Amino acid sequence: MLTTVVGNFPKVAEAGYGTAVIGAINRWQKQELSDGGLEDVFQDVTRAVIKEQEAAGIDVVTDGQIRWEDLVTPLARRLEGFEINGLERFFDNNVYYRRPILHKTPVRKQPIFLKEYLFARSCTSKPVKAVLPGPYTVVALSEDRYYRNVRPFLRSIAEILNEEARTLAKAGAVMIQFDEPALGFGKPPMKDVVEAINIATTGVQAKTALYLYFGHLDGTLPALRPCRVDLIGVDVVSDPKAITAVRKQKWTKELALGCVDARNTKLESVTELHALFDVVKRVVPKGRLYANPNCGLEFLPHEQARQKLNRLVEAVRRYK
Amino acid sequence: MLLTTSVGSLPKPDYLAKARAQARKGELDHKALRRLEEQATREWVQFQDEIGIDIVVDGEQYRGDMVAFFAEQLPGFKQSSLVRSYGNRYYRKPIIADKVRRPRPVTVGWWTFAQSLTSRPVKGMLTGPYTIMDWSFNEYYPSRRATALALAGVIHEEAKDLERAGAQYIQIDEPAISTRLDEIDLAIEALGVVTKGLRAKTITHICYGNFEALAPKLMKLPVDQIDLEFANRKFELFGAFKRLRFTKEVGLGVVDVHSHRLESVEEVADNLRKALAVFKPEQIYPDPDCGLKTRTPQEAKDKLRVIVQATRIVRDELNGARKPSRRPAAVAAARKR
Repeated sequence: MLTTVVGNFPKVAEAGYGTAVIGAINRWQKQELSDGGLEDVFQDVTRAVIKEQEAAGIDVVTDGQIRWEDLVTPLARRLEGFEINGLERFFDNNVYYRRPILHKTPVRKQPIFLKEYLFARSCTSKPVKAVLPGPYTVVALSEDRYYRNVRPFLRSIAEILNEEARTLAKAGAVMIQFDEPALGFGKPPMKDVVEAINIATTGVQAKTALYLYFGHLDGTLPALRPCRVDLIGVDVVSDPKAITAVRKQKWTKELALGCVDARNTKLESVTELHALFDVVKRVVPKGRLYANPNCGLEFLPHEQARQKLNRLVEAVRRYK
Repeated sequence: MLLTTSVGSLPKPDYLAKARAQARKGELDHKALRRLEEQATREWVQFQDEIGIDIVVDGEQYRGDMVAFFAEQLPGFKQSSLVRSYGNRYYRKPIIADKVRRPRPVTVGWWTFAQSLTSRPVKGMLTGPYTIMDWSFNEYYPSRRATALALAGVIHEEAKDLERAGAQYIQIDEPAISTRLDEIDLAIEALGVVTKGLRAKTITHICYGNFEALAPKLMKLPVDQIDLEFANRKFELFGAFKRLRFTKEVGLGVVDVHSHRLESVEEVADNLRKALAVFKPEQIYPDPDCGLKTRTPQEAKDKLRVIVQATRIVRDELNGARKPSRRPAAVAAARKR
């Protein structure tokens, strides 16, 4: 069983890599710091969070998404067709994101996350996975004033994500992950969602992963079976029923078990985590299993995020 | 009728913002900081008094964040380090590490101080149990429900003490209430524990909500008055309220606290006139959309003045002392009721 993280990392660590990001962004916004000056700070922190993942013993690391304000605007800001609007609540968290509004056909003019990915990879010898928002989550968190119809919006975002994923794979990304937290809420149009995910992963020369977190997943999981992805990540913390849904599913893909609560500071015991491993071991062979926190670690203060990662690795190493 | 008020927080003057930063670094002692907090409170109460706000707030000059303030005063909470809420904004999200207790009142001292400065009623300002629960980490209670209900008991005790001290209005803010629609009944239950047996007028302020989903539950909220942002939503809520049988009082946000733009008196008066087509005059309490602490002190003062002036115009129209300038139908209909 390998360990990984879902994506983001705390951008500040008062007792660690510091809080330089806050001041740097403030100064950059007031035009007292150049783009290059801000980039230097982002790179320092990115290097530090990659080192922390290495030190904790995480097998597949991410860049910690230090530059990311939220899950969707880093993409939407760099596409033509979107305007970034006011604050909205990010699912059921006391965290807010800026809602993108689609005004015309979205267009990707150049690679979006390539430079960031290449920098992250240069920081470590461990495999670095690239994380992208999934097509449905981009659509669900945006306001559509152009298509006024889910399916064409989903398809165009999926095509853009596919171009981006191919670029990243060509650059050497071993795993490309699509985050779909929006699938846990309401009644997603699953047929269209599956179609969009399959568009996004077509011809991508890397392992593809679909990560589900927050909300309720019991209805969604079976509908995702026809998805052409290699790995599905399931948050079994947010919804206590999710573990039953995982157990009932016939698994043909790899499974990443989101087992450590990255939204609460209470530290899990090794015994608790082993109980969850016992359940999934019966449906997925151990060689096809990953363990990770249930979602990005940025919801936690840095110290607790670090403790949670250490506990995750400890539990996996001690698991027989 | 049309009593003007505020939602709670008012911006801190520069000298206080600086003093708080110094105090955090240990360069200013607690007593000196307290003197400046009192000075700022006095200034804000006097300002509201002078411009004629009917129900005054103390302006929360001594609070940082609405949840952290309670967490700092109540044993059972422990401080944590920074987490990001959006953009480049961070806060210290409290951790419930033990049973939450209230060995002494938390807000009564400040309320008493503010009330001693004015003959107008001062509102008691509390944060609701659901919001404190939702905005804290929990390492102690077995469930979200157990957490919310335990906190509700604590906040109820605080409300009782405010009432004993003489508060006629007690506001219990629940901005998190619409976060998880499947928990709305828990939020209502917890708020009910807080307001149970209170004789003071009770108010709750809600923001950032999915209003459409909340609407059917509004009448179930166990408070006398519900305070909502109308201006930030371009007064679209009037349409929703027309379809509701809403008999509680409404705190009607008529100026946008997220915008630097100063609304004109005529614009606010006009929106109040529109409100009269939806609510009875005695249901309406004009106020800003939310706490004004995000604005500069000058912007906050200007916005409060506009509210008072606009309300006066509409009140005079209702009393027949002034001829309505626009929308006479709504005002005339309201006068008949």
